[in-house]
Amino acid sequence: MQSVPGGGGEIVSGKFFNGGIYPMKKKVLSIILVSAMAAGVLAGCGSSASTSSSSKSSSASSGSKSSSGKDYEDCTIKFDWWGGDTRHEATQNAVKAFEEKYPGIKVDVNFGAWTDWETAKAMEYQSGTNPDVQQTNFDWIGKYDADGSTYLDLNTVSDTIDLTQWTDDELNMCKDSKGGIAGIPVANTGRLFYWNKATWEKAGLDLPKSVDDLLAAGPVFKEKLGDDYYPLVVGSYDRAILMTYYLQKEVGTPIIDENNKLTYSQDQIKQGVDFIQKLEDNHVIPTIEYTDGEGVDSMDKSARFIDGHYAGIFEWDTAAPKYVAALGDAASDFVVGGELDGLQSYSKVSLMFSISAKTKHPHESALLLNYLLNDPDGVKAMGTERGIPNSQTAYDTLNSAGAIDQMSIDAHNAVSDSNPFYWNPLFDDATMKGDSGTAYYDAFVNLSYKKIDTAKAAETLYNAYAAICS
Amino acid sequence: MTKTRKFLKNNIGFWFILLWLIGFCVFKAYPFLSSLYYSFTDYNLFKGITRFTLDNYKNVFVNPPERQALFITFKYAFMTVPLKLVAALFIAYILNFKLKGVNFFRTAYYIPSILGGSVAISVLWKALFNDDGLIRTAFGKIGIEAPHFFTDASWALFMICLLRVWQFGSAMVIFLAALKGVPEDLYEAAELDGAGKWTQFFHITVPLITPVIFYNLVTQLVQAFQEFNGPYIITKGGPLGGTTLMSLLIYNNAFTSYNMGKACAQAWVLFIILMIFTAIAFWSQKHWVFYQDDEGR
Repeated sequence: MQSVPGGGGEIVSGKFFNGGIYPMKKKVLSIILVSAMAAGVLAGCGSSASTSSSSKSSSASSGSKSSSGKDYEDCTIKFDWWGGDTRHEATQNAVKAFEEKYPGIKVDVNFGAWTDWETAKAMEYQSGTNPDVQQTNFDWIGKYDADGSTYLDLNTVSDTIDLTQWTDDELNMCKDSKGGIAGIPVANTGRLFYWNKATWEKAGLDLPKSVDDLLAAGPVFKEKLGDDYYPLVVGSYDRAILMTYYLQKEVGTPIIDENNKLTYSQDQIKQGVDFIQKLEDNHVIPTIEYTDGEGVDSMDKSARFIDGHYAGIFEWDTAAPKYVAALGDAASDFVVGGELDGLQSYSKVSLMFSISAKTKHPHESALLLNYLLNDPDGVKAMGTERGIPNSQTAYDTLNSAGAIDQMSIDAHNAVSDSNPFYWNPLFDDATMKGDSGTAYYDAFVNLSYKKIDTAKAAETLYNAYAAICS
Repeated sequence: MTKTRKFLKNNIGFWFILLWLIGFCVFKAYPFLSSLYYSFTDYNLFKGITRFTLDNYKNVFVNPPERQALFITFKYAFMTVPLKLVAALFIAYILNFKLKGVNFFRTAYYIPSILGGSVAISVLWKALFNDDGLIRTAFGKIGIEAPHFFTDASWALFMICLLRVWQFGSAMVIFLAALKGVPEDLYEAAELDGAGKWTQFFHITVPLITPVIFYNLVTQLVQAFQEFNGPYIITKGGPLGGTTLMSLLIYNNAFTSYNMGKACAQAWVLFIILMIFTAIAFWSQKHWVFYQDDEGR
């Protein structure tokens, strides 16, 4: 038996609703339930309530901190990025070091693989819940910051971030429609070939130096090593880039110029598509049906790549570490390929770091960015996980510490020495790049499955380019 | 008692469900109705609305990718639902016998339903049936070249169906409960009259459990038309759009191309189709579902 304060009676266990005590208990119960609901509703607003209270407390503590000599507020900032495991580990270490250097600033991190990352971020931009600091893609400026209101103009925090470490050209590339700097270009990147030297040797061939070498290698691989060995493997988006490299060499202009103008005719695009088809016909690359059959999302997970059945990949110069990690002991056979005669590369901003225009902590966010990109400790922790850094001081720090691995240097030099062309972010428009229903997929997958011919694939691509460039 | 207190007392039930009502309005009713509005626009998540149009609805029946997705969704539903119902009923019928270790088998057959929709199982499915997977390798060892399960469009859809059929546990448990409710004396009487097991099954068991068959039919139909996980994780809608069900197409339009107007219209078309099939199922029950009420219907 237990009594309820104010209940005016006793509740017999299990008989709460029985007899005369029910009306009184019903009232008590309803008060409890309404209170619980009110608490629930408040809990729904909990994050903002707690944010504002923590913001207030941080302001308050900032007052006291100021007197203790800190030039920042105690706060929590959110930071997210995409990448592979090695990038995650390096970035987490850098964030930890930052928190030690700036006690009072807590960094909430969120990271994951690229697959579906952009979809999640797009929703955040739409709802205004994007984090304070974010790794961003170059083409996101046009996609999500068209009116210049998504990303903070980094000129406004230039007293915290040392922007002089980047050239004007580099920073100008990352300007939004209002002329503000929407992101810091962490590194530049381009595509290049990486070869599995051991497989090429097994086929009795030297590494290719030209497109002709590559075309000639396919039949040799088939004859000497078997049907399931290929000199190179490329997916539908890789094919679009490879086609572009081929056409840039043939035509002599970037596919989409600085004025958003498509510079190729449909016939010229057909030449590029014919080239890709020729690679497949010559057993240089497997069909997409064959690669899809393995069911892996990326080549670093492919057993056929790891065991050398695919003897080459066409990848970003910043991507080497994840392949080296995947290959393990066999990594010594994984080498950077030089420029191939017959192809003309392009270079673009690999990725950026941006600060949300809605952040309540622009100074602290800028402190984090400056630490990650310019501070010797932060730079060392970050390493070359995002490529050879554009920041001059970061480059000097890593170079003098011998922290830039030879493969990253080779890959970076291979791209920069190839006199790369301009790259327009429209190339990666949502209507072009993606799964079924996007131009690269529809053109190259249907072509590889022999559902359409090269003329139809070229028409699909030309119409899609024309639509985004209009 | 004041008027306010009386009002509160008389409407206490309302206060109990208030939180649910708020949730329903915010998370169900509002998105439901706003999606109808957006379906008549060219709403792009980042560009907003520039015009009102009926094109979104027209395109579902005119554009080849959308027509294909619609056709594949029908194909998927009409393959999956009968197969799953038959499998569930068959296994439930067997597990209704007094077999040794029957509880173990009941649990074992139910487990896929718990795990089946998960990402891990989809990944496992992929590993089993991809070109270098266990199944093709095993066939290869005995000299048979198995089909390319996920890169041959006709096989890929069948594999996605099979994944769903494999998760027959929930339907099976419901069938099992219904089978338990069939009176034993009916079987005894039938046996005395010389009826075999099959005759008993089709003339006693099936008629008596038709309300449960009907329930399972409707729920499985709804589930099949909304299928998303399998094709999204395993095939991403490929090869050549061969497993792009309407739900996946809606997702792609909404969250990768940001064409919310188009996606909303497709979702409404799917909803209307589902309503029609459900209505047909309800209408048809007077011809084949036997209830134990006064009228036997």
